[in-house]
Amino acid sequence: MLRAERIFKSFGALQVTKDVSLEVPTGRRHAIIGPNGAGKTTLFNLLAGELLPDEGRILIGEQDVTRFAPDRRARRGLSRSFQKNNLFLSGTVRDNLVLADIVAQGYGFHFWRRLSDNRSAQEKTAAIAEQIGLAELLDHGVSELSYGAQRQLEVGLALMAAPKVLLLDEPTSGMSPEETGRMLQLIDDLPRDLAVLLIEHDMDLVFSHADRITVLNYGEILMEGTPQEVRGSDIVQETYLGGKTAQEQC
Amino acid sequence: MRSLISFRPALAALTLITLLISWTNAEYFGMEILAEIAVLALLAMSLDLLAGYTGLVSLGHAALFGCGAYSFAVFTAIWGWPASLSMAAATLLTGLVSLVVGAVVTRVQGIFFIMITLAIGEMGYELVFKTRALGGDDGLAGIPRLDLSAIGVDLNDPGIFALTLILLVAVVYLLLLRLLGSPYGAVLTGLHDNAGRMRALGLPVQLYQTSIFAFSGALAGFAGTLSAQHTMFIAPQLLHWTTSGEVLVIAILGGLGTLVGPIIGAALITLLRHELSDLTDYWGLWLGLFLILVVMGGKNGVVGWLEAGWRFVARRGAQSKSTARRSNDAAG
Repeated sequence: MLRAERIFKSFGALQVTKDVSLEVPTGRRHAIIGPNGAGKTTLFNLLAGELLPDEGRILIGEQDVTRFAPDRRARRGLSRSFQKNNLFLSGTVRDNLVLADIVAQGYGFHFWRRLSDNRSAQEKTAAIAEQIGLAELLDHGVSELSYGAQRQLEVGLALMAAPKVLLLDEPTSGMSPEETGRMLQLIDDLPRDLAVLLIEHDMDLVFSHADRITVLNYGEILMEGTPQEVRGSDIVQETYLGGKTAQEQC
Repeated sequence: MRSLISFRPALAALTLITLLISWTNAEYFGMEILAEIAVLALLAMSLDLLAGYTGLVSLGHAALFGCGAYSFAVFTAIWGWPASLSMAAATLLTGLVSLVVGAVVTRVQGIFFIMITLAIGEMGYELVFKTRALGGDDGLAGIPRLDLSAIGVDLNDPGIFALTLILLVAVVYLLLLRLLGSPYGAVLTGLHDNAGRMRALGLPVQLYQTSIFAFSGALAGFAGTLSAQHTMFIAPQLLHWTTSGEVLVIAILGGLGTLVGPIIGAALITLLRHELSDLTDYWGLWLGLFLILVVMGGKNGVVGWLEAGWRFVARRGAQSKSTARRSNDAAG
């Protein structure tokens, strides 16, 4: 569903992405791991359209979206969450989700219809709130929510568009173990008609919840394979896991 | 939260009633002041859509106001078009100008947006100031008012004119309230809150910013046609950036993003200017002091202060009620 072909990107003399190719078909849970500075977030920004690659192609389905701005990619079915919570802080959980629905369904230019009359938006909002575990908090202000609940809403906003491809940027970063567990359950329960690509620091999450892993180092792909292959690879052990075995890391 | 949602329309109704009561008591000079308040309220509401709701702070809004006033003056006083047609045409023309300007200025954000709107506004001012056909620095005179004698309304009567403008403010307020309660209104506040996330969700951000710039500009142009009819004489000062600054001050003083705030701000600034200038030569100094007092304390202008006061009273009321219940329980 999402395909990146031989992507290159440099900032001045600094090559941050070198010859990266990826393919995430529908239903796949694909993780990108790598030490800090490996270029994970840059790659994400290239895929989402925040940055333009110097070389290479990015495709959603059969469509070449390499030159598309982020909003145009989003309208093609690519949805993302952010590493740092990036929400509408002045509104409630409901306001946030309804806003995402307006954008996703493209009725932002309806200037005369009352927003409160829109039944389908309310139903969809309730369904997503249930899915992300925030049904009880629908009418709470976002700025009053706990950090973990804000992380859940972050994913909820990305889900409102009913995307084909979901990019999750460290969905569990900064979460307590309990909150992490809830987030993992949420990711496991995502519908299978969705291609999911996630960046993750948490080794446990990567090895047990992804079915394919790309290891990045200095902007290059070190290896790509199943969790078993990556866990067993010597080269990954050395560069990323610092010589320790993956078992110890977990 | 619910009590706050209904608080603002109630405040707007109260403001309207106050304006109407002062209208019944006003002499000739009072009518002039009321008309001035109404025109400024319309202009400040249009800026509130842009600066308060969408987060696009423009310092070139007076140029659009002036665009409406000058095109109305040209259409009527020079070309001899009827005033009704001229009002519509001038509003539409200003909307089109704003559409073009909006498409350019929304390419930049933040401080650069303020600078570029300021620059474009000053270009408009210079253009009018130097153009002899528009009267140059002498301005344009002989502008007629809308002729509503067919329905028995004589707008050349200062009282009738002021009343019409006050009612127009109420109508525009209600229309904008409806607009802001729509999906479009939600998108505007979303853009103010977090334009980057709106883009990531799939919104063509610049298209929406341009659309509200055009709409807000058309409304400013409409206010301009009323200003020209009010004074029946216009000068380039109307387009100057200091006028933009004054309108921004009105909106901030009243409360940005509250819609009723700009109406209250327009009334306060106009009254203070007239009253204080009667009392002291240093009226600007006192006005400045008043502004600082209102804006300090992190409240959102006059409306912000009133809402805080209302919340305080509501909480006190709830407390005393629960205390009463507790003592009842104890007695029972």
